Amino acid sequence: MKSRSLIALTTSALALPGITSTANADSPPTESSFGYRVSTYEEDNLPEEFLFLGDPERYDITIHQFQLVTPVGENYGLTLSSSYESMSGASPWYALPVFEGEKSIVMSGATIHEQRRDYNLSLRRYQDNGNYAFSIGTSRENDYYSWSGGFDIARNFNNDLATIAGGVSVSNDDINPTDAALFNRVTDESKRTSSAFVSVSQIIDQNSLFQSSLNMTRHKGFLTDPYKLGDTRPDSRTQWAWSNAYRRFVNSLDAALHLDVRFYNDDFGVNSLTLNAAWYQNLGDNWQITPSIRYYSQSAADFFTPVNDFSLYGVPNSSDYRLASYGAVSGGLQVQTFIDDMSLVFKIERYVTDADYSIHNGQSSPALVNFTRMSLGVSYTF
Amino acid sequence: MKKSLALLPLIIPAGLVCSSCQPVQAWERGTLAKPEMAIDADPMETTLNTHIFFSKEASNGGHNAAGGGCGCN
Repeated sequence: MKSRSLIALTTSALALPGITSTANADSPPTESSFGYRVSTYEEDNLPEEFLFLGDPERYDITIHQFQLVTPVGENYGLTLSSSYESMSGASPWYALPVFEGEKSIVMSGATIHEQRRDYNLSLRRYQDNGNYAFSIGTSRENDYYSWSGGFDIARNFNNDLATIAGGVSVSNDDINPTDAALFNRVTDESKRTSSAFVSVSQIIDQNSLFQSSLNMTRHKGFLTDPYKLGDTRPDSRTQWAWSNAYRRFVNSLDAALHLDVRFYNDDFGVNSLTLNAAWYQNLGDNWQITPSIRYYSQSAADFFTPVNDFSLYGVPNSSDYRLASYGAVSGGLQVQTFIDDMSLVFKIERYVTDADYSIHNGQSSPALVNFTRMSLGVSYTF
Repeated sequence: MKKSLALLPLIIPAGLVCSSCQPVQAWERGTLAKPEMAIDADPMETTLNTHIFFSKEASNGGHNAAGGGCGCN
């Protein structure tokens, strides 16, 4: 029997909605494993200098993640994953023309409390020369429901030195905003998303490998944010992302280098560049410490306006800071220890944005978000 | 023709990388099989990070996604 490739060359499948996290190896799991992780995500308050009205305290979110990976028979692997989020805080509602100096942002008045639950299931069949998987998932909030499904397949070539993979997925989102009558919001809208990817992976030598993938995602339907006043967006969006990953193991230091770069473009007019670097440093057999750094820069959407222009009713326009031009730098530090069949992990990450960090054109927003995220997790193999 | 042009971003870097590739036998792939050498070394971490960046940035794609969409803002 031809040996199966030992390495993970198919994870670009994870780029699609409906295709969930699966085992890394290109062979079925031989043991079951369970993982739990709790994370806190805290956004900095909106600076008083920009706040015109509302609550400056932005989102605090607690996230619980669960994942079970288990073999099914000799050739299948099943992955069940779920997460539960509880969030509270305020978010930018709209932006006024500069008033009283630089105060322009109106935040949502009342603190928002909300929960989100998602469930994902993936069944992967492993073969001599590759694998394929079917995945389904749901995500539910009190005002939002999404389901998704996907399929991906990978084939190994050239004595398993190269892998070509591809996949498709679809999802449907139903949106039923709260307090619709009070704030003249839409009551029942939906959007459909379809996505496809292809990727090429190559083993370079005994210590390094490379992967390049191309993703296309198309959204149709209601793409406006119903909780932002005066927000109107086009009813379709096509996104392209070209991602490249390089992994190299440095034997003399017992460490692995991860380098990632992504180029992104969509027909909202957003272009972006994402750079990631991480250094997985092993310390003996039981510890690993991983510093990481990420740089992100995006241009503004064609219809972004720093302040709302309410005369543009029905015409695409938005003051959403996420559609502004800006750059972001984040740094993280992860510490992991391995004790028999169990591992413990802790990570802290700080994310800072600034209009001046961007290498792209376009107007920016005073409502850019900074946040701190901490995670604590445990996994057990049995 | 247009579809094949769209694949150029994959073909060109793969070709450049392959020009320096060496034959690696199955028994020589122990280092490549280390968990920290996976494209996605920590799927739970990737799921969370992708979800956060999906919610807070205009771009997405190329990393793990936590199921379908969400109303996160």
